[in-house]
Amino acid sequence: MIKKNTFGSGLLLLLIAGVVGYFIGFGIDMLVSGETPKLAGSVPAAFALLFAVSAFFFGVYGYRGITRGLVWQVEGTILGALFVTGIRALMGMKGNELFEAKFFFSEPAWVFGALVGVISFLAGVGVIDDWMKWARGIDTPEHHEDKPGWEKYFGVSLDHKVIGIQYTVTALFLISVGGLFALIFRTELAQSGLQFLSADPEKFSVFNQSGPQMYNTLMSLHGMLMIISILLGVSGIINYVIPLLVGAHDMAFPRMNAFAFWVAVPAAVLLLMSMVLGGFDTGWTGYPPLSSRAPVGVQMFFLGVFTAGWSSILGALNVIATVIRMRAKGMTAMRMPIFVWAGIATSIIALTATQLIGLSFQLVMFQRLFGMGFFDPAKGGNPVLFQHLFWFYSHPAVYVFVLPGLGVISELLPVFVRKPLFGYRWIAMSSLGIALVGFVVWAHHMFTSGMNEYLRVPFMYSTMLVAVPTGVKFFSWVATLWGGKISTPTPMLFVLGAIVVFLLGGVTGPPNAMVALDLHLHDTYWVVGHFHDTIFGGFVFPFFAAIYYWFPKATGRRMNEFWGKVHFWLMTPSFLMLTFGMMFIGLRGMRRRIADYDPALGFDSTHLILTICAFGIALSVLIFFINIIYSIKNGEKAEGNLWDSRSPEWQVRSPMPAHNYEVPFEVVGEPYDYGLAGSKYIEFSASAGKKH
Amino acid sequence: MTHKEEKSSMLGQGVFIFIYLAILTLLEFGIAITFNSVVLLVAIALVKAVLVVYYYMHIYELNANEHEGDEDSYEYKTGTNRIGLWLFLVSDLFVFGGLMVMRINLLGLSHPDLNQNLGLFVTGVLLVSSFFMNRGEILMKNGDRQGFITNTMITLVLGLFFFLGVVAIEWRGLPDVAEFVLHLFGEREGVIPLTPSSGAAGAAFFMMTGMHAFHVMTGLIFLVIVMNNAKKGLYDEKHYPVEAAAVYWHFVDVVWIFFYPALYLIGSIAK
Repeated sequence: MIKKNTFGSGLLLLLIAGVVGYFIGFGIDMLVSGETPKLAGSVPAAFALLFAVSAFFFGVYGYRGITRGLVWQVEGTILGALFVTGIRALMGMKGNELFEAKFFFSEPAWVFGALVGVISFLAGVGVIDDWMKWARGIDTPEHHEDKPGWEKYFGVSLDHKVIGIQYTVTALFLISVGGLFALIFRTELAQSGLQFLSADPEKFSVFNQSGPQMYNTLMSLHGMLMIISILLGVSGIINYVIPLLVGAHDMAFPRMNAFAFWVAVPAAVLLLMSMVLGGFDTGWTGYPPLSSRAPVGVQMFFLGVFTAGWSSILGALNVIATVIRMRAKGMTAMRMPIFVWAGIATSIIALTATQLIGLSFQLVMFQRLFGMGFFDPAKGGNPVLFQHLFWFYSHPAVYVFVLPGLGVISELLPVFVRKPLFGYRWIAMSSLGIALVGFVVWAHHMFTSGMNEYLRVPFMYSTMLVAVPTGVKFFSWVATLWGGKISTPTPMLFVLGAIVVFLLGGVTGPPNAMVALDLHLHDTYWVVGHFHDTIFGGFVFPFFAAIYYWFPKATGRRMNEFWGKVHFWLMTPSFLMLTFGMMFIGLRGMRRRIADYDPALGFDSTHLILTICAFGIALSVLIFFINIIYSIKNGEKAEGNLWDSRSPEWQVRSPMPAHNYEVPFEVVGEPYDYGLAGSKYIEFSASAGKKH
Repeated sequence: MTHKEEKSSMLGQGVFIFIYLAILTLLEFGIAITFNSVVLLVAIALVKAVLVVYYYMHIYELNANEHEGDEDSYEYKTGTNRIGLWLFLVSDLFVFGGLMVMRINLLGLSHPDLNQNLGLFVTGVLLVSSFFMNRGEILMKNGDRQGFITNTMITLVLGLFFFLGVVAIEWRGLPDVAEFVLHLFGEREGVIPLTPSSGAAGAAFFMMTGMHAFHVMTGLIFLVIVMNNAKKGLYDEKHYPVEAAAVYWHFVDVVWIFFYPALYLIGSIAK
C-alpha cells in the first residue's frame, strides 16, 4: 500500500499496471483464440487501458470514489457478460456460436455486461448510497461536508461547485481525447493517398482494425466524444455558475446533481471501449442499415450515448427546478442574469428531446440483438424513421451546445464594455425562441434522405426562422459594444472571438437550409466548416471565456494574462483558416467522412494547410492547459471583484465558501446597469433568504 | 370535523372517477369492435388521461404554494420535489411519444393481431389498481396507515397481474400457461403468435409493451419500498414519498391509456 497518494505514484502505477494488464490480456487472448494475437490487438489493449487507468486513480486517490467505481465497472462488465454467456450455454450453444469469437464475448453478452458495468460503477463510486438508505427507511444528513483540498474532486461530492469543476475537468479531458483523434485523421488527410492508416493489415492493424476502418472509428468517435464533452462542459458552467447567480446555496437536488455527473463517467468509458471492440464505421449519427451491420463497437457507442443522455436529462431537470424554486428574494423573471435564461432554454431542450436519441439508439440496439425489424425494410421497417427520431434530438442538441455559450457572451459583454446590456428582454426571449423553433427544424438534415418531398419546404422555412432570434442576439451584442469603454483582458478577447466566429457559422447556415443548395452541399466539407464555426463560436470560445472569467472565483487566483492572450491569438487565426479552407474545398466537391481523396481534385495543398492549422489549435489548447495547471497554485492572487462586475458572485470573496453566500442577498435593481450612477443590482441582508 | 368530511369526499371522488374511466374504457372497446372511429378513440383516450392527471395525479398541487415556510422547511422542499417529479414525467413522456411515432410510422391505421378480450382484461386490471392506489394515498394523507398498506397491497397484486398478463401471457413468456389463459379468453384457432423478429407489427408491439412493462416493474419496486417504510411509520407525518410513488403509478396508467388503443383497437389488423 502506498502511503502518500500523489500524482507521481499514480503515473508510476499507470505504467506498471498498463504493462501487466497488457500481458494478462495477451495471455487470455492467446488461450481463447488459440493463436498469437496481434501486438496491438483488442483484448491486450483493452486490458492494458483498463488496468492503467484504474491504477492511476488508485495511486492518486486510493481505493475509493472513482477508483472503486472503475474497478467495479470492469468487474460488473465481466460478470454481466459471463452471466449472459452462461445462459447461452444453458440454452445449448457451444463454441463459436456461444462466444462469437472475435471480441471474446458474444454481442448480447457485451451489451448486458456493459449495462451491468455502468450500474456497478454508480454503486462503486457511491453516488446511490443515500438513495439506497432512503429506500430502506434510513435518514441521511442534508449536506455532506467535503474535506478541504483537492481530494474531494475524485469522489462523490454534493457541492454544486465541486460538481461543476468535475464536469469541466472531465469535459476538458474528453475534448483533448477527441481533439487527439482529430489530429490523427487530419494528419492522414494532409496528403492524398493512404500514408500511415494503411488498408494493408500487415502494415497497420490496431485493435483488429485496418487503417481505413480505424479512420472511420476515429472520425465517428471524434464527433461523439466532442458532443459529450460539450454537454459536460455546458453542464460544468451551468452547475458552477447558476446557483451562484440566483443566490441559492446549492442545486435543488444535490444528490441527483452528483448522479448526473457520475453517470457520464462510465458513459465515457463505454465510448472509448467501442474503439477497442472493433470500432464502428457509421459516423456519429449511427444510421441504420450501416449501424445494424457494424462491429460490436457500435453497441458500446449506443450504450455510451444512452448513458450520457441521462446525465444531460437529469442535469437539465435540476437546473429548471433550481431556477424555479431557489431564486433570491426580488429576482423576478426579468431581473434574472441573462445566463440563467440561457440555462433554462438549454435545459428545456435537454430535458425532453434527449430521450429521442436514447430511444432511436435503443431501437437499433434491439434490432441487432433480437432481430426486431424497426429499420429493416425486409421486415416492414423504415430506415428513414430512424433519422426522424435521431434528428429530433440531434438538431435541437446543437442549441443545447450553443445557447449557454451565447448566454456567456451576453453575460460577459456588459462587464467589459461598462454599459448596460442592450435589449435585455429581447435577448432573454430570443434564447427561448431559439429553443422552441429548434424543435421544428430537424428534417433539414434529411433533404437528401428520401423522405417525403412535401416536407422539404416547410422545414426549409422553419430552419431559416432560427436566424431571427439569433439575429436579435447579434443586434444586441453590436449595440452593447457601440460606444462602450471596451477593455480586452483574455475573457473579453474570447467573447469577441466568439461573436466573430459564431457570425461566420451563422451566415453559412442559411445556404444549407435552402433545399436547392443543400442537395449540392450535403455531406461535403462545406457543412463540416459550417458546424465547426457554429460550435466553436457558440461553445468553445465562450467556454474558454467562461473559464478565464470564473477561474478566479473557483481558485482565488487568476490565470496568466500573457499566455491567455497567446492562446487566443494562436487559436483564432488557426481556427478561421481551418474552417475557411474546409468550406472552400467543400464547395468544390470534397466529401466528408472519407479517408482518402483523388489527387486530381487538387485539394492536397489546402488539406496540408488545414492539418497545420489543426496542429496550431492543438498547440494553443496545450498552452491553455499548462496555464491552467500552473495558475491553480502559482497564479496571481485575485480574491476580490477582479472584473469589477455587478453580478452577485463577485460581491463576495473568492474562492467561494462551501455553502455560497454567508449572508443572503436581495435583488433591488436591474442586473446590467453598468455605468449608471447610483444603480444597484443586489443588497446583502440577513432577512433576504428566509421567506418565500 | 372538516378533516373527515374532506377525506370521505376525496374517497367518493375517487369512486366516481373510477366509474367514469371504466365506462369510457368499455365505450372505447365498443367503438373499436363496431365502427372503429380513430378520432373518437383518440378523443376518449385524451379525456381519460385528463381525468387521471387531474383527479388521481393531482397536477394542481404544483400550484399549491401557500403555507410554505423558509427554503429548508419540509413543505418548501415538497413543492420542489413535486416540480422535479413532474419534470421527470414530462421527459419520460417523450420516450413514449417517440414509441408512438414509431408505431404510427410503421403500422399506420392497423394494429397487431392480439387477443381483444385479454387486452380489455389487463387494461381493466391496471385501471382498478389505479383506483386502489388513489384510495391508499388518500388514507395515508389522513393518517390511516393500515388502510394505506391494505390498499397498496391490492395495488401491488393487481400491478403484478398486469405485468404477468403482458410478459407471461401476451409475450408467451410462459408458453403453457399462456396457451391455457388465452384459451380461456377465447383465442381463435390458428393465430400465429407474434415474435419480436416477425416483422414491423411484432417489433412495435414488443418494444412498446416492453418499455411500458419496464415502467410497471419500476413502479412496483417503488410501491414495495413505500409500503415497507410506511410499516415502520416513516410517512405518518411526511407523506410525500407516498404521493410520489402514487403519481408515478398513475403515470404508468396514463401511458397505457394511450398504448391500449394504439396496440389493440385502432384500425384493422396488420398483416
